[in-house]
Amino acid sequence: MTDTIIPAQNNIYRPAVMKIAATRNEAPGVQTLRLEFQDPADQEKFAAVYRTGMFGLYGIYGEGESTFCVASPETRKDYIECTFRQSGRVTTALASAEEGDLITFRGPYGNRFPIEEFYGKNLLFIAGGIALPPTRSVIWSCLDQRDKFGKITIVYGARTVADLVYKQELDEWAERGDVELVLTVDPGGESPDWKHRVGFVPTVLEEAAPAPGNCIAVLCGPPIMIKFTLASLKKLGFEEANVYTTLENRMKCGVGKCGRCNVGSVYVCKEGPVFTAEEVSAMPAADL
Amino acid sequence: MTKILYSDDLTTCFSTWRKEGIMTFGPVQEAGNSGFREVQDEKELDMNLILTSRTLKELFFPRTEPMLSYSIGKQQIETSEFLPSEKPCIIFGARPCDAAGMAMDDELFNWDYRDEYWFRRRSRSVIMTIACSTSDDFCMCTSLGLGPDSAKGSDVLLRPLASGKGWLVEELTEKGDKALQSIASLLKEGTEEAAPTAEVPVLFDLEACTTWLADPENFESHFWKEISERCIGCGTCTYLCPTCHCFDIQDEGDTYEGIRRKNWDSCSFQLFTMHTSGHNPRNTQSARWRQRIMHKFNYFSLKFSVNSCTGCGRCTRECPVDMGVRETLQAISTLQK
Repeated sequence: MTDTIIPAQNNIYRPAVMKIAATRNEAPGVQTLRLEFQDPADQEKFAAVYRTGMFGLYGIYGEGESTFCVASPETRKDYIECTFRQSGRVTTALASAEEGDLITFRGPYGNRFPIEEFYGKNLLFIAGGIALPPTRSVIWSCLDQRDKFGKITIVYGARTVADLVYKQELDEWAERGDVELVLTVDPGGESPDWKHRVGFVPTVLEEAAPAPGNCIAVLCGPPIMIKFTLASLKKLGFEEANVYTTLENRMKCGVGKCGRCNVGSVYVCKEGPVFTAEEVSAMPAADL
Repeated sequence: MTKILYSDDLTTCFSTWRKEGIMTFGPVQEAGNSGFREVQDEKELDMNLILTSRTLKELFFPRTEPMLSYSIGKQQIETSEFLPSEKPCIIFGARPCDAAGMAMDDELFNWDYRDEYWFRRRSRSVIMTIACSTSDDFCMCTSLGLGPDSAKGSDVLLRPLASGKGWLVEELTEKGDKALQSIASLLKEGTEEAAPTAEVPVLFDLEACTTWLADPENFESHFWKEISERCIGCGTCTYLCPTCHCFDIQDEGDTYEGIRRKNWDSCSFQLFTMHTSGHNPRNTQSARWRQRIMHKFNYFSLKFSVNSCTGCGRCTRECPVDMGVRETLQAISTLQK
């Protein structure tokens, strides 16, 4: 067929171009990029649509695109921050990119955390390892309007002290006085000067025993941690409808067409990535 | 009185369209295989095929297509788009099952986000479908609520004359009407009768199947392993399916310049859902076959109120290990009773 090149207004597969404004090493193999749109029209579109919880496809032409969350909050939309572990082809290319380099971005896609519904409630954030980034987007969205929420508790754990991400922000949260921060590392992962907890997240959570009344829990982490932490939350009296989490599946298009990210009938890219534990329980476990 | 297009006029018909700048497509035989491609005149067509081995979807969703080209400079990234032209096309001699599949995938490719690659080709094309007067043992349109003369997805429906000398012409859409206007002088009025449509037996109870599939209890049933144990995961059923739409996006080139392509992918492949961490939600062939059946007869219909299967039978006809939608649904239909 004789196809010609015609510019399109709304090609869903055409990414925007972003400049790396800053890079930060978070932990071994884990990096944060701060990105700025090159075209003001793209920035405007992003600011109009972006809400905490949504994700993007970050790419380097020639390598491909990789899906992860927008780690910066909806209260700060002049830039995008993303945090990723160098593990595949795209993330390896992203990790070797430097300040000033250009990368591509498609999004923001997906649903969001219904933050207005959390107003007036206590918040419990629980994150494991590299899953602090999606949680952090919600944390800052709430801390940037701190007076709208009750008590805020953050429980964060990683395998080792070196694996904790956003170390600077952990200090900031510890010092601000209106957040209760509980940090832990897995047994054996502590350093000689570690002053916080040692133990797995579910155990540490049960010991901290946050009250379930009028409280929303946001839980992100590797599947195994989610599984055990959900059990702990249940033990503490949290209802599944008040526990939010995110699902991450392999994606190519991000917009419900390429056919791979569904869990049962639920498309993570369109109907997620944010779900309540109640919604996750209704999905076929064998498809997770 | 109805309009008739006689086979003898087909040569003039094609040349008229082509003179008007319309691209003409139809079913052709190629190296022991058949499919749809552009033809200069009607002599290239194979009008005796019950069904082409490859589907109509290739004209709207090619096996591989360049989407974007990129070139990376020191301080800029340039992207250009390969979008299909809007040059009008007439597809002559599609079958009802294939045409119906295109209408089903319209829903998917327009689900909140519009896929311009699909829709530019869809909107420039007129599908002229020929109703089936013969079928084979694998045809199962009637089991899916369609039939040998279904109009779904077609712009013009042609019913073969009993005499075998042409077709009764029914325009179904505005686009179809427009395509017929340019050949108006070739359409004769007449009282000839259409040949009887093919008798395609109903092979399973679709409602019983969808009821069984909708029951969460059955998601982890042993049935899935038993029915798909011999699946070799080759992906043939998905590639030859008029409604299977899954794709991959891959870059061809280096980090200076190249092309980003959309390529057919398949839920039969292990890598399709594999996470970077190594975790794979659908790690067994049976989980992947379950996905294919559930997607067609539960997930798709939950979203778009239609099952994503037209009963063309290709998955069964061409499967190297004799599996397919037919066997699975026949078995489920029995289980449910």
